[in-house]
Order: sequence, then structure tokens, then C-alpha cells
Amino acid sequence: MIRIEGLAKSFASPRAGLFARRAGVVRAVRDVSFSAADGRITGLLGPNGAGKTTTLRMLAGLIAPDAGMLEVDGIAVAQRPREALAKMGVLSDARGLYPRLTARENILYFAALQGMAREEAQARAEALAQMLECAALLDRRTEGFSQGERMKVALARALVHDPSHIVLDEPTNGLDVLATRALRDALQWLASPAGGGKCIVFSTHIMQEVERLCDEVVVVAHGRTVAQGSVPELRARCGARDFEEAFVRLAYAEEVAS
Amino acid sequence: MSAAWTVFAKEWVDALRDRRTLAVVLLSSVLLGPLVLVALSALVASFESRAERREVVLAGAVHAPTLVNYIARQGFTVKEAPADHEAQLRRAELGDPVLVIPPDFEAALRRAEAPRLVLVSDSANKRAEAGVGRVQRLVTGFNRERGTLALALRGVAAELLEPVRLDERDLANPQTRGTQITAMLPFFVLMAVLYGALNAALDSTAGERERGSLEPLLMNPASPLALVLGKWAAVSAVGLLIAVLSCFSFIPAQWLLQGDALAALFQFGVREALWFVAVIAPFAAALSAVLMAVAIRCRSVKEAQASTAVVVLGVSLLPLFGLLNPGAEERWHFWVPALAQNTLMTRVIKGEALGAEALGVSLLVCALLTLAGVAFVARVLRRAAVR
Repeated sequence: MIRIEGLAKSFASPRAGLFARRAGVVRAVRDVSFSAADGRITGLLGPNGAGKTTTLRMLAGLIAPDAGMLEVDGIAVAQRPREALAKMGVLSDARGLYPRLTARENILYFAALQGMAREEAQARAEALAQMLECAALLDRRTEGFSQGERMKVALARALVHDPSHIVLDEPTNGLDVLATRALRDALQWLASPAGGGKCIVFSTHIMQEVERLCDEVVVVAHGRTVAQGSVPELRARCGARDFEEAFVRLAYAEEVAS
Repeated sequence: MSAAWTVFAKEWVDALRDRRTLAVVLLSSVLLGPLVLVALSALVASFESRAERREVVLAGAVHAPTLVNYIARQGFTVKEAPADHEAQLRRAELGDPVLVIPPDFEAALRRAEAPRLVLVSDSANKRAEAGVGRVQRLVTGFNRERGTLALALRGVAAELLEPVRLDERDLANPQTRGTQITAMLPFFVLMAVLYGALNAALDSTAGERERGSLEPLLMNPASPLALVLGKWAAVSAVGLLIAVLSCFSFIPAQWLLQGDALAALFQFGVREALWFVAVIAPFAAALSAVLMAVAIRCRSVKEAQASTAVVVLGVSLLPLFGLLNPGAEERWHFWVPALAQNTLMTRVIKGEALGAEALGVSLLVCALLTLAGVAFVARVLRRAAVR
């Protein structure tokens, strides 16, 4: 269970020159609140620049929020960041691998940082490679991997400690149809009781993915939560037959009105 | 702490797998030192053999049988200068200064008209310059002999010409004389540490940012300080490894030294190499921390290379204080990193005691730099990951 309430964050905008005054603040996140239940896939849907990545970075404890509260299974990220991180597997926007290490070494490095024993980590890496269908890649150096291969290794790395909460930032960016489909299957299995009934949160700006995958959708626009509900619920609320139409009405309400 | 150990093990493996960079570093800093040493020894050996040859080059020796006779009595052989000796000297083809004798030398000498001799040399021609003093001493000796003879004929005691006697005693022990060549050694060791640590430091900070692997790394439940400590230890270890290789490469290099006298002067054994390592280890730690602190602010390795150029320049130039002004150690030298290590290593080569104060001060400076660097990187690591 992930709970976020009244989250806000603003950044000082970069200076134009060495002696120039700062132009002011950029309010990346104004008021984001939602909760994601266990065993469900929650999609964070919003246009570019809506504040999705900033929200997920605050959830991972990388940036401190100006206001608001983030909780993972009742553990406040601000107070006990390390315990919260141990419960989460985060695939961030940046998913760089170490090119001189093999895929297996990349995964085992993060397992060791999570405090796992070596044998346990080895077994887990094999199991994840089976699930993500990339067992053949394990002992190759990651230099020269394709986008899809990189994503699989990064995902395995994020999931190596078998976290109960999985947070993914735009996971399908740069993936082809087959890789996207494989990822979708993996996520659906992880959320199912057989896969452990994980709490999965992922951000995206692609409508079709949300329609196909999400049990719950959180629409974010201009740094605010605009709506939360299942796909049919949101469609019904806007009186639109098409989900894309519903999304445009929700997310671009100001632009459409003016 | 187990997180720090994990990071150390990974960064160490990662750095040692960067074979191409390591090969370049090994070639430039480990092999270059011994090569320059051997080349330098060949040069010095040619000076020595020239000094031992006892030859004087004269232009117009036939005009001065008296002078030639004197020179021969001092145990020198006289060589006739080539016609274009000035051009040859300028091109550094001729390695001896030339004493030019006017045609009427003998007659003028007899009439006591003080004939003029000209000593031709080129101050840019180092080998010829080295022989100038020898020829000057010969001419002075000739003058004194002629003067003494003239006075003796007039019944004046020879002692009147020389109211004061001067004897020379050289206090330098063999090891100190050897330092004229070995003054370069500490410089090469400093460069080895610098270039050994540089790539690892950039790769583990700015490189992580450029690859986008710093953000995922920070999403592990390990404190930034533990991550930075692991990285810092690995970078220092790589720098130290290159430095150790560099120190011990001088031992086989001295087998190739030309000239027995020189080889006897240059005493660099396992003991000296170990002292070098002991002096350079804290510096490797401090330098790694400083390089990482500079590089963490940069978004790419390329940007970091530009920013660390200042550090690189400092480490290369500061030891020059010692090279340009050998022997003149001052107290503040030990407060300046790189210069302190250079001075301490010079003492090791000279076979002098290092001195507790000097060691303590340089150790303290290195410890402070390390603390400041590591603390800074740990503090800005999160901010660096997201920007």
C-alpha cells in the first residue's frame, strides 16, 4: 500500500548567466494525492511535465518534498527512508547499467546493496531472468545491449530483493511491441496472487497501456491530481465513450475551456 | 559498512576492467619514469667520459708552442679545432669549447704584450659549457706559472703571488651526489598516482551521472556516505596500485643505468620503494577525494575532465618548487600537498631521515583533504543524481 497526500515541490529555476538573478521558482508538483492498493496496478497518467517523475523521485527519497506526506506500508519516507526503500523496487527514469559488468554482476551488485546473501541473490537473479526471458543475456557485458535488453536487466535489478511495492517510471519508453508485451505480462503476473500480489505503481503518458494494464488510474496535470478511479469509472464520469477523450477532458480541462 | 565494502569491490573490478585506460596509464606513468631515467643516465655518462678524456681543443695550436707545452705537462692532449668550429658549436655537434690563439701569440708573449686568447663556446650547448671551466683553469695555471717564473728571475718569492691558499673538500656523500639525476623520481611517482586515480575518480562520479546509473544506485537502502566511502576507497586503491608499480619499476630500471660511477651513486632498493609507497599512500587518498569532489559537480566525464584540469595542473606544477630549488626546503613546503610528498621522497632518495614534524604535517593535511572531499561528495550525491 502506497499513500501520498498533499505532495508539493518547487525548484529554483536555473540562472541564465553567472550573475543573472534567478528567474523565480518552478512549481513542479502542487498538490498530488493518491493511494495504490496491494495486488493492483495503479497507473499515474499525465501529459509531459505534469510532475510524474518528480513525484516518483520523492517517493524514492531522492528529493525531499516541500509539503505533504509519502507512506509505504505505513512507513513514512521522510522519517525512515531506508526502511521504505527496502520495501520498494524502483525502476527510475534513469536506468543506466555498468557497461563493463555483466548483466548478472549488475543485478548482484544491487542485491548486495540490499543486504542479500550471495547464494540467495544468485538464485533470485536466475529466477528473474527466467521470468523476464533474458537468461541468455546474464553472462554478457551490458555494453551494446539493446533498449529492451537494458530495460529487462534494469527491471531485474530493481526487483532483485523481491519488494512488495514496485514503482516504475515510464517503463515502456523506447521498447518495441514484443518487449512491451513481455513487460505487461510480467507486471500482470506480479500483481496476481500467484506472483505475490504486489502493489504496482507506474507512470506513463500512453493511453493504451493504461487501458490494457491498469486496475486504477490516477490522472495528474499541472502538478495536481485531477482524478482517480478505474478506466470505466473515469469514462463514465466524463461521459465519454473513448478513454482518450476522457483523459483529454480531465487533464487539459483548463486549455479546453479557454 | 557492508554497503561500503560492496561498492568498493564493484568499483575495483569495474576500474580494473577498463583495460584500455589502464594500458595508457601504465605506459605513460609507469614506463615513462624508468625510460627517462635511463636516457638521462646516458647523457650524464657522456659528460663523465668527456671529463675523463682530458682533451683541449685549440684553434691555431702551432702559434703557441709554449702554451701547448704547458697543457701537455698537465696531462691533457691537444686537438686542433675544425675550421667551422663556431657553426659546429652552435649546432651542438662539437662538445668542447674552442680556445682560439692569435697568429702572433708566441712573439707577443715574449715581449710581455699580454696577447689575447678567445674561448669560444655556446651557452645553449650544455656539453661544451661543461668544459669551459676546465679550459679557464688551464689558462689561469699557465698565467701563474709564467708570472712566478718572471718574478723568480727578479728575485721575488713565489709566495707573494699567492697570499692565500684554497683547498677544496666535497662534503656530499655518494647518495647525495646521485640525487642530481634522481630528483626526477618523486615527480614520476606523483604523476602515476594522479593519472591512476583520475579515470577511476571521474568514472565513479561524473561517469555515473552521465550513464544515468547514480539515481538507481541511490534507490538502494544504503546511506550516501557508505556509497561514497566505498567509491573513494576503490579510487584510492587504483591510484595507489599504479603508484606502487611506478615505485618498483625504478628497481629494474637501475640495472640498465650506463656508467658504473652513476650506478653506484643511484641506490634505490626495496627499502626506498617501500618508503615511497608509505609517503604516497595518504596523498593518493586525499587526491582521490579531491578529484571526486570536483567531478561530482559535473554532468559528464568530458565536463569533469575540464574541471579537474586545475587539480591536475596543481599536482604537476607544485613539485617544481622542489626541482627548481633543490635542497632549499622550507617549513611551509610540508603544508602544501604534492610539494610535501615531493620533498619527503627526495629525502628518502638522499638517505636522510624524514623527520617526524614533516611527516606529521603532511599526513594531517592529507587527512583533512580526504575528510572534506568525502563529506562534500556524500552531501551533494542526492542532488547530483536528480539534476
